[in-house]
Amino acid sequence: MNTKGATTSSAGGTDGASDSSSAAKRNSKKPKYSRFTQQELPACKPILTPGWVITTFIFVGVIFIPIGLASLFASERVVEIVYRYDEGCIPTNYSDQKLAYIQNSTTNKTCTRSLIVPKQMKRPVYVYYQLDNFYQNHRRYVKSRSDKQLRSRASESDTSTCDPEGTTPDNSPIVPCGLIAWSLFNDTYGFLVNNKTLKVSKRNIAWKSDQEHKFGSDVYPKNFQSGGLIGGAKLNASIPLSEQADLIVWMRTAAFPTFRKLYGKIEKDLEANENVTVVIQNNYNTYSFGGKKKLVLSTTSWIGGKNDFLGVAYLTVGGLCLFLAISFILVYVVKPRPLGDPSFLSWNRNPSGV
Amino acid sequence: MASKRPLLIPSPRTPNSQDLPSIPLYSDLVNPQSQSANFKSFSPMDSNGNNPIENSPIPPNSTTLYSASQRSISSILSANSGGNSVREVNFSDVGTKPVRYGSRGTESEAFSMSQKEINDEDARLIYINDPGKTNERFEFSGNSIKTAKYSILTFLPRNLFEQFHRVAYIYFLVIAILNQLPQLAVFGRGASILPLAFVLLVTAVKDAYEDFRRHRSDRIENNRLAWVLANDQFQQKKWKDIRVGEILKISANDTLPCDIVLLSTSDPTGVAYVQTINLDGESNLKTRYAKQETLSKLPEKEKITGLIKCEKPNRNIYGFQANMEIDGKRVSLGPSNIILRGCELKNTASAIGVAVYAGRETKAMLNNSGAPSKRSRLETRMNREIIYLSVFLIALCTVVSACAAVWLRRHRDELDYLPYYRKKDFSEGKEDSYNYYGWGMEIFFTFLMSVIVFQIMIPISLYISMELVRVGQAYFMIRDSRLYDEASNSKFQCRALNINEDLGQITYVFSDKTGTLTENKMEFQCASIWGVDYSGRKANLQGEQLGYSVQVDGQVLRPKMKVKVDPELLLLSRSGKDTQEGKHVHDFFLALAACNTIVPLVTDTSDPAVRLVDYQGESPDEQALAYAAAAYGFMLIERTSGHIIIDVQGERTRFNVLGLHEFDSDRKRMSVILGFPDKSVKVFVKGADTSMLSVIDKSLNLNIIRATEAHLQMYSTIGLRTLVIGMRELNSSEFEQWHFSFEAASTSLIGRAALLRKVASNIEKNLSILGASGIEDKLQQGVPEAIESLRMAGMKVWVLTGDKQETAISIGYSSKLLTSKMTQIIINSGSRESCRRSLEDAMVMSKKLMTVSGVTHDTGRSSGGAATLALIIDGTSLVYILDSELEEQLFQLASKCSVVLCCRVAPLQKAGIVALIKNRTDDMTLAIGDGANDVSMIQMADVGIGISGQEGRQAVMASDFAMGQFRFLVPLLLVHGHWNYQRMGYMILYNFYRNAVFVFVLFWYVLFTCFSLTTAITEWSSMLYSIIYTSLPTIVVGILDKDLSRRTLLNYPQLYGSGHRHESYNLKLFWVTMMDTVWQSAVIFFVPLFAYWKSPIDGSSIGDLWTLAVVILVNLHLAMDVMRWTWITHAAIWGSIIATCICVLVIDAIPSLPGYWAIFHIGKTRLFWLCLLGILIAGLIPRFVVKFLNQYYNPRDIHIAREAEKFGNLRELGGAEIEMNPILDPSRETTR
Repeated sequence: MNTKGATTSSAGGTDGASDSSSAAKRNSKKPKYSRFTQQELPACKPILTPGWVITTFIFVGVIFIPIGLASLFASERVVEIVYRYDEGCIPTNYSDQKLAYIQNSTTNKTCTRSLIVPKQMKRPVYVYYQLDNFYQNHRRYVKSRSDKQLRSRASESDTSTCDPEGTTPDNSPIVPCGLIAWSLFNDTYGFLVNNKTLKVSKRNIAWKSDQEHKFGSDVYPKNFQSGGLIGGAKLNASIPLSEQADLIVWMRTAAFPTFRKLYGKIEKDLEANENVTVVIQNNYNTYSFGGKKKLVLSTTSWIGGKNDFLGVAYLTVGGLCLFLAISFILVYVVKPRPLGDPSFLSWNRNPSGV
Repeated sequence: MASKRPLLIPSPRTPNSQDLPSIPLYSDLVNPQSQSANFKSFSPMDSNGNNPIENSPIPPNSTTLYSASQRSISSILSANSGGNSVREVNFSDVGTKPVRYGSRGTESEAFSMSQKEINDEDARLIYINDPGKTNERFEFSGNSIKTAKYSILTFLPRNLFEQFHRVAYIYFLVIAILNQLPQLAVFGRGASILPLAFVLLVTAVKDAYEDFRRHRSDRIENNRLAWVLANDQFQQKKWKDIRVGEILKISANDTLPCDIVLLSTSDPTGVAYVQTINLDGESNLKTRYAKQETLSKLPEKEKITGLIKCEKPNRNIYGFQANMEIDGKRVSLGPSNIILRGCELKNTASAIGVAVYAGRETKAMLNNSGAPSKRSRLETRMNREIIYLSVFLIALCTVVSACAAVWLRRHRDELDYLPYYRKKDFSEGKEDSYNYYGWGMEIFFTFLMSVIVFQIMIPISLYISMELVRVGQAYFMIRDSRLYDEASNSKFQCRALNINEDLGQITYVFSDKTGTLTENKMEFQCASIWGVDYSGRKANLQGEQLGYSVQVDGQVLRPKMKVKVDPELLLLSRSGKDTQEGKHVHDFFLALAACNTIVPLVTDTSDPAVRLVDYQGESPDEQALAYAAAAYGFMLIERTSGHIIIDVQGERTRFNVLGLHEFDSDRKRMSVILGFPDKSVKVFVKGADTSMLSVIDKSLNLNIIRATEAHLQMYSTIGLRTLVIGMRELNSSEFEQWHFSFEAASTSLIGRAALLRKVASNIEKNLSILGASGIEDKLQQGVPEAIESLRMAGMKVWVLTGDKQETAISIGYSSKLLTSKMTQIIINSGSRESCRRSLEDAMVMSKKLMTVSGVTHDTGRSSGGAATLALIIDGTSLVYILDSELEEQLFQLASKCSVVLCCRVAPLQKAGIVALIKNRTDDMTLAIGDGANDVSMIQMADVGIGISGQEGRQAVMASDFAMGQFRFLVPLLLVHGHWNYQRMGYMILYNFYRNAVFVFVLFWYVLFTCFSLTTAITEWSSMLYSIIYTSLPTIVVGILDKDLSRRTLLNYPQLYGSGHRHESYNLKLFWVTMMDTVWQSAVIFFVPLFAYWKSPIDGSSIGDLWTLAVVILVNLHLAMDVMRWTWITHAAIWGSIIATCICVLVIDAIPSLPGYWAIFHIGKTRLFWLCLLGILIAGLIPRFVVKFLNQYYNPRDIHIAREAEKFGNLRELGGAEIEMNPILDPSRETTR
């Protein structure tokens, strides 16, 4: 946009009265001239001209369409295996009493399934569990934690924000306290390829920043899951919280009610049509609220996981911009209006026509 | 809406018509007496007049001829308290022969006496020189003043109390308190109080600073020193320690520390001159008098005791009522015996007085009212939209709580065990309910919590932003060098800070004439003497300004003002009175120099040899005439009560002033009776032409009268104010007869004014005409152009003046208010019936004209301005019309007229006319005036503007804005008003939009969190959003953005119409903005939702994405609308975005918050940046497209002008081929 300097400063009021004595000048209340006080700072005054608008739209279209294509392409290349097991892993004799099954500690919860790899999956292959209809962003849930307690042993008893999982009945603090930790996900997965165990690495699944600064290396689980109601996983009391990667991942509460959490990474390529046997320990109770549980194996790309939305959105916006650009060009050719044409001024138009 | 301030000050120009009987002082006129002798003996005849003792060339004679009876009369009735009511005159030849003449504006003895006694309960008793006793019974306030509102201790509670007068603040306070309840704690305690605390803090700091400055000035004021009598000598004492009842001594040029009653002055007659410029702005000197009973008392030597009983403190600076008991006598005191705090003693060596009112009870402090408070139209309209926003808010909260209700109902069986809800607490052995209050209460709490979360739907920051923007706008208006008046050295003043934007929507301008359209600096232009017209313009146009001067005792005396002279007349006047012509000229100028009440003041200049004669007087006309006479060699050098000294062509001549009939509005003339050195006595009369021509002897010099009449006609058509001068020589019998009746009249106890008037009429007759003078009340510079601009801008200019019809019309023509094309409707009726008839006739006529012009409109406006109507109406007709059913008719008629001139209107009628329009239309009214008579009008109008001109500061004190010249109205309205309106309108809309976008983003998220009001955006970001993230750019844009340059706006006043059409702020714009808001918030929310659905994204990370997206989007939105990018705008907008990023980074670097390090993680992913880019582009596209299409295919005037400004074809705007129509059609389109 072209910069047009401010109007000339000659009218700045220094004209005349310049020959008055210095005393008069001192007494004069005349505001001192400056471009700032006279609101005449040099300025750029952009105007939406058709040329500008059309250029902008073409520019946006030209940028957006390739980005859209690239992200669609990337998303297509991501290989993703999603397997819902919450229904399937209930033995048939319990299919009417899922809740009883899951709450019964004596039932066998192991569930073995095999998955076919549709395409080659380059390592690392990420293992996620996906929960649907689980409101990890519920206010009561989100607030029920104590970041102080997680960080240092000194504030172990700082459980005031953790109700109803703050303390045991005899008032000793639960570490880690709060509903979030209490409801820690406790299904486990084992993978076999060609009867060989696939190692699932838990390294680097949690944020390094969390491990280093948010979860204390001197804070050990205490009184955890010892109350009347067991919400989920138990923690090894001899491992400090900073090493409890699953807990750390879980404590980063998800933004939406349908979410995935990283379970681990498989540092090995999976070939197409390979048969992966999954051994699932189906412990976690989502049956009481109709939540779904899914196991997800996925590779990654430069835009993350498999999601076509962004590509489509970019293509749509880019296309729309090009369309607008073309239609503006057409309209401009058909019915141009000279810029600054005085005949359009209201006082020049026929008043009866207004 | 109208401010209800009282009219504090009655016009000083309204003379007190009660010229009441005074004392018979002299029965023996022939007995010579001297002034000094009078004084020495302290005779009762010594009055309050000027005592010319030092000028008297005659040695004092005997003073023995006073009769005891006179003594007693006058001692009972005391001296005249009034202004110049009593003066003594010396007959230089015969000896002193005191004469008194009628007075003006006096409160004479009988008057005060006749008034009802001041009740003891209503009075304050002051024991002179006994402050202890005075303050014994009732502690009067001390003299320390306190304009500061707060002390260190009271600052916090009082300031908070005052701030919480605003309803919006109460709202936010209630919300902050709600948030403190554990059940409702949505935000942390600190975060929830932050916004309110910030706003309160900013305001408190501002208030504290202002108060600090007041404290400082108070301290300076209170610690000034004054001489106070203590232990029989005057000692210096701080002002704040002065107590009521103490005796003070004031020296020349000192400022009065409190209101004092004068006891004596250095002047033997007890006169003191004061300048009241600090009080009412009038720069001429006023005279105050000490009572003669106290005159001679010297407080150091003898102890003065006495009792003053005076009224309770009040704010009337022109009224005072009291009496004083001294030496067993009781004398009454009036306004001329009191000097008020803030006045300065001038031309008087010292004055002694007793403090009666001190500190905050002084009249000056009581009048120290704050700036007026009005509310702007835009703000009123804004309140309507605030109500819409509240409805939105309630709707959103209802939706959330209803959904929550449904959800809770449907999951009521699961609530105990839901891992993310857990209604029950199992930790103890027994199963407690955990934070669950039952279904109904949960819903209620959800509602309240959603109010807390969505609170900024009502923009709290808008109020503080508007205040800051107005301060900024005011700063630029004040600093505008084009609104600075060189002549009066006055800057533009912004006295009301909350109606800046109203200046952009004015439709009616009500203007005073004298002093507003004109300079109120009278200039002698031409004279018609003995039937000969001497108009300077005829002879030479070089406009020679002659400074006449005379030498006296080696010193040069020179009049302060130079006057343009006619060389021919100057020659004549110098030629002496040998020729017949010369004699007439001599008499004429002698009349000008003598027949007035001007007091010449001789002041020193930097050059010791030169002294300036400054003519002080109440009437600018008289001043002009006196200066003119001086320029022609008749310089009035000295005036005392008894004589005047006029330097006639270098020769000092002393005239005795034998009598003076002052001007009154019935006679419309004044006369002076002069005793000449040759013992002849002449009466000189000057007055308005109508009144003078009736008293001129028509039998003499008929052709000269004719010629003068013709000249008068000519003068008044060119807009000059005319006065006719006549004279008559009195023979001794006539004089004696007059003198007798004059004495009788002036000493009469009842009906003195009427008697004096009669005496005057008897002597003012059979005059021979001397000539006429034409005084120009010059139009202020640029007035016609200004009126033209205002009219082109679609404003209706009404002139309300006290002048007579002819003068008003001629000024109307010269100021281009009236043009020859206009059809004039003149309503000049004496009764209600005739008013009705003339109104009806006028309506019929206007309808006829409207249809005619309507036809021409249809055939195209270019055929010419057609017939426009001008209504001229006078005050007497208005008396019948206003406040009656005719009012409506007048309004109908007036709204059809493009010009309305009201002549001969009283101050209250002016307000009535403004109210007539204000109450019947939605249009904004503006009143502009300079005098006390305009105060009511200024206060009544939506915007009141005071001209800081010649007539004091009362108009300025009552005004919202004050400036030096009428023509500044054009830049003020067309430029600053336009800018302010456009800026403020945009800022309000933008603030609504900005907060609503944020609230909607929060709202969408709530729908995905089980309606539990979780916010992904951290509470700190939501609180900082309207404080740091987005507030500065809107304030900067609100202060600095300019749609059009000053030059364009001034060249094309029609652009002002955008304010009339409410283009910057209307309901349609509001709804369009709200729709845009919904779209943008949806884009901001749903793009990340879909992009991150089923992904491991955590709430804090996506919250950061939303925070950045919403802040950058609203700032880009603003950037898109900025019309003028200066470096400040750049800094504000980009700086805000950067500041937001920094804040987000800082918040995410705090390990104790759940979102620790989130932004650093998400910032490393490309998806984040793509989402952000996508949001920004997709969010802005609709607005961009609509904006472009609107500007391109439905351009407003402003758009076209901007384009023209940019591409340089500005000159073609309304160029030659397309005529500009100066007067807008009344039926123009309005968007409401």
